[in-house]
Amino acid sequence: MAKRMAVDHQLVLTGRRQAHECAGDLPPAAHYIKADLSDPVLSARHLAAKFFSLELGRLDLLIINAGIGFHTSAGREDVVMVRQTLDVNLVSSIMIVRQFAPILEASRGKVVFIGSVAHRGAANMPTYAASKAGLSGLARSLKSEWKGRIGVQIIHPGPTRTTMHAKAGYDPGIMRKLFFSPEAMADEIVQCIRDDRARTQISIRARLGRLILRRRP
Amino acid sequence: MKALVTGAASGIGKALVERFLELDMQVAGVDREAVGNKGNLVSIRADLASRQDVDRLIVELKNHGPFDYVVHNAGISATGKFEHIPDEAYRRLLTVNTETPLVMTSALLAAGCIVMDTRIIFISSLSHSTGYPGAAVYGASKDALAVYAKSLRKSLFKDRIHVMTVFPGPVRTDHAERHAPPGAKAERRMEPGEIADRIITAARQRKKVLYPGKAANFVRIIGAVMPETTTRFMRLAIFEKLQRSVY
Repeated sequence: MAKRMAVDHQLVLTGRRQAHECAGDLPPAAHYIKADLSDPVLSARHLAAKFFSLELGRLDLLIINAGIGFHTSAGREDVVMVRQTLDVNLVSSIMIVRQFAPILEASRGKVVFIGSVAHRGAANMPTYAASKAGLSGLARSLKSEWKGRIGVQIIHPGPTRTTMHAKAGYDPGIMRKLFFSPEAMADEIVQCIRDDRARTQISIRARLGRLILRRRP
Repeated sequence: MKALVTGAASGIGKALVERFLELDMQVAGVDREAVGNKGNLVSIRADLASRQDVDRLIVELKNHGPFDYVVHNAGISATGKFEHIPDEAYRRLLTVNTETPLVMTSALLAAGCIVMDTRIIFISSLSHSTGYPGAAVYGASKDALAVYAKSLRKSLFKDRIHVMTVFPGPVRTDHAERHAPPGAKAERRMEPGEIADRIITAARQRKKVLYPGKAANFVRIIGAVMPETTTRFMRLAIFEKLQRSVY
């Protein structure tokens, strides 16, 4: 997504890795701020302080994308897993949005939440599903609350061939072939952000439809 | 029979404790305030917004289980414009309403305090059927809880552990009183005792979800059929009447 957005945006990126560890992977002109979202309140404040010290003057688009998940049957999740998943996926998102709401409003900007198709429930990732349902609910309420002030969009991507499944302890096996490649998913998401629809689900069916209709992103 | 109720000192929790005691059950009542030890009731003090307290509580509960009913009732709100409420208030809200019930469920399952035929009851909110401008994070916390319960139900079904989610509309509690917009009519809210009766009846019938009362069922349908209109109504009824933040 960062590579695609770099074409017409000045980017400020954040992740939990050290800047020198990911320098080669990022668009050259992008700023990078290291922030570990497992401490939501502190990391959001740190992120805001670093962002404002760059003195960019405005913020048109805030993309809340960071997320983790663990694949375990319900009720077999351990306490640390549950807390970490909620902290990174839901609590941090709320804290970050809170920090940047004023500059987004001043810039007539928009916040984009990356949810998941799991937001309606997933038997083998209950806490992950809950965190994404929380984001979905937040987007729904803020969309109304911020009408005419700050744009709000939520995008629910389907399964993608990222490292997340391995990190979550899940082997999709042959199903993996049906997953989106990260490139295709990034294309879809960037297109959705440009289309500016309030909520979108990115499924394999929708992509097929788009390809058939030759509406290439 | 044994029951565990969080947020047992007031509102729906208090009413549930009374009903369970009337049914001759042993009840563990968890709350920040003292619930009062009487007869079959054991009061356990814990601040469910504090991770240390929750960790301590989990250890203590192992002496009281296994439970026939586990009711995650404790909840707090924060009403006001999203950006006017402090970080710490959101942190507390998300811990009490979402994190703690999830953590307790995992820990109680692991400890063997939730077993075959246990009924786990999550008190979500009717706001799950609509957007909630003016209480966006509260709404998010209850949406998360509802979807956790739904996911849990699917995977615990084979263990014959029953999961029910309750979506109450306005209830006549101190909580509702503090957060209601000015001019809201208290007499229109449902009595906690009535909600408690409906919860116990529905749990016995192994209902998956409970929307207590005709009004709640009406909102559920309208929210599903006309989500935008329902959220717009919520904005008029709540957000535009906000005069101050309460958290």
